[in-house]
Amino acid sequence: MTKDRSLATAVLLMVAVLFVESGNIPEKTSWQAYGSAIYPQILLGCIAVFALLLLLNSFRQTSQPGTKGATTAKRPRANVKVVGIFVLFGAYAALLPVLGYLASTLGFMVATQALLLGVDTRRKWIINLTTAGILVPLVYVIFEYGLNVWLP
Amino acid sequence: MGESFLQALTEVGDVYTLSLIVAGVLFGIVGGSIPGFTVTMAILVVFPFTFAMDPVSGIALMVGVFVGGYSGGIVSGVMLGIPGTPSSITTVYDGYPMAKNGEPGRALGIGMLASFFGTLISIIMLIFFGPLIAKFSMNFRPWEITALIVFALTLVAGLSNGALIKGLMAAAIGLFITTVGFDRNSNLRFDFELDVLTSGFEILPVMIGIFAFSQLMNNIEDLQAQGDAKKVDTNVTIPYRKIFSDISRQKLNTLRSSLIGGLVGALPGTGGTVANFLSYDQAKKFSRHPERFGTGIPDGIIASEASNSAVAGGAFIPTLALGIPGDLPMAIMMGVLILHGITPGPLMFEQNPVLVGSIYVSLLIGAFIMVACQIVLVRWFARVSNIPQQILVPAVLMLCAVGSFALNNNLFDVWVLFVFGIIGYLLWKAGVPLTPLILGVVLGENLENQLFRALELDPDWTTFLTRPFSALFLALALASIVFSILQNRKITRTLKPQGGT
Repeated sequence: MTKDRSLATAVLLMVAVLFVESGNIPEKTSWQAYGSAIYPQILLGCIAVFALLLLLNSFRQTSQPGTKGATTAKRPRANVKVVGIFVLFGAYAALLPVLGYLASTLGFMVATQALLLGVDTRRKWIINLTTAGILVPLVYVIFEYGLNVWLP
Repeated sequence: MGESFLQALTEVGDVYTLSLIVAGVLFGIVGGSIPGFTVTMAILVVFPFTFAMDPVSGIALMVGVFVGGYSGGIVSGVMLGIPGTPSSITTVYDGYPMAKNGEPGRALGIGMLASFFGTLISIIMLIFFGPLIAKFSMNFRPWEITALIVFALTLVAGLSNGALIKGLMAAAIGLFITTVGFDRNSNLRFDFELDVLTSGFEILPVMIGIFAFSQLMNNIEDLQAQGDAKKVDTNVTIPYRKIFSDISRQKLNTLRSSLIGGLVGALPGTGGTVANFLSYDQAKKFSRHPERFGTGIPDGIIASEASNSAVAGGAFIPTLALGIPGDLPMAIMMGVLILHGITPGPLMFEQNPVLVGSIYVSLLIGAFIMVACQIVLVRWFARVSNIPQQILVPAVLMLCAVGSFALNNNLFDVWVLFVFGIIGYLLWKAGVPLTPLILGVVLGENLENQLFRALELDPDWTTFLTRPFSALFLALALASIVFSILQNRKITRTLKPQGGT
């Protein structure tokens, strides 16, 4: 499946779910010209039309000679580091209320820098720990004492 | 207006606010100097620091970042041949060859001065045109405003590099995101019986998630593709006398490029990159020696830097006067104003004249601080632009998370950031332009309010077509779509004879 076709299919599925959900929005009252559902339903309609056009376009493009299968072949490999950053960020968001700002942010910074910089030399570890060790408390001090914004 | 301007001058002129502008300009230049960081990212990172500030101080800081950010792209553009921001691409054409010819200080100095004059001229344009457009648009009723927002969204979607359908779809998705939660009639929509969704999504974590994650992940992928980044030579000296004589010989070029930048900045969806190419092209056409462009001449650097910096003032015109952001950084700036309880639009000039004056004054002071900082701290900025992405990405992500949390002291906003980060990244990988999406998020609530106000006054939808300006904006929206389709077809036809490559 091409990139555009996958996108259009995913969007159409999302539109279908949301359209069904829009049925739960209360009906318009006697003094309203239109109910609360009409605006999101118009938008969902527009999104569906654009997704359908994208889908049709994707079939038209692959039916042209010389283009078949090109998109699948050119699709970039899943980037391990990008996936890793997302996983680390998800873990950070989950641990933030449990461990508090200082410990969870320090952990996130060290882990993410280790993933991106590598851990093969002592120099990299020094850079990693120094950056995290300075930046994390600095942001904490600025927010807590400079701006009076509470951090967990 | 004069009285408000003086009051604004007093408010912005105090030491605290001035130091905020200096800090903003410095951070903006740093942000612009680092390849792949961009002005938008700099604005997003600094924004959480304004939560506890009063609106004038917060806006002064943000304006500083804005002014500094547009001028900061020159450092890596000249020294590395890699534009720090997309709006300084043409700076590389002449700045990099000049640096390679042994005159990096001259290239940087010319660019900095041109940036200064560009910003200054665009501020004059903003002060002159802003109130005029706002006064005119005071006649706009909900029908016209609805149609104007639709026009702005189609224009931005149409400019999405051959991805019109995806651009329009992105804009509609952006608008849809704002429908989650209680609406203006206190009816719940799309809450899926989850308490956390009843108040909808905050604009800030949504915007940061969509933009910052895709941008940062893109930087990581680029890094892996390119290998180790080149380092900037920090040993730079600016030949002051020479650059002043270069600029004085290019007065017309500076003025023309600044006017192009200011005007292009005022058009929704265009931004610094378009201004950059347009003014470089015009400078070449008006030049007596067009063949020398690209070899390292001052003309090219001036055209590029004056125009991209002039976008800063120009982009404020539609934002302040109409409530329609000119480009992506301005869309974020508009989100900033909204979160500070200020609604940009024609009424802002009547209801908040001091605040409008503060923006003018901050821009003016920011321009002077920008050129002073650039010239004095050029070596330091060159050094900063060497910060590797491996350190930058975790730091920015951490600041994004802290900023999202600090907005309402709510951990749900960090999850919103994360989820929209994944959505933004996947959409970006699928080739969906993110600017219309973000613009949709920023304008969504206003569009719905105006549409319903119009329908409450007259339930007949055809009124949108019978009111002249409303009909004009809708016709322009349609025209922008047709124009994009024709443009795309032309590009496809041009590519076909070359074997579709």
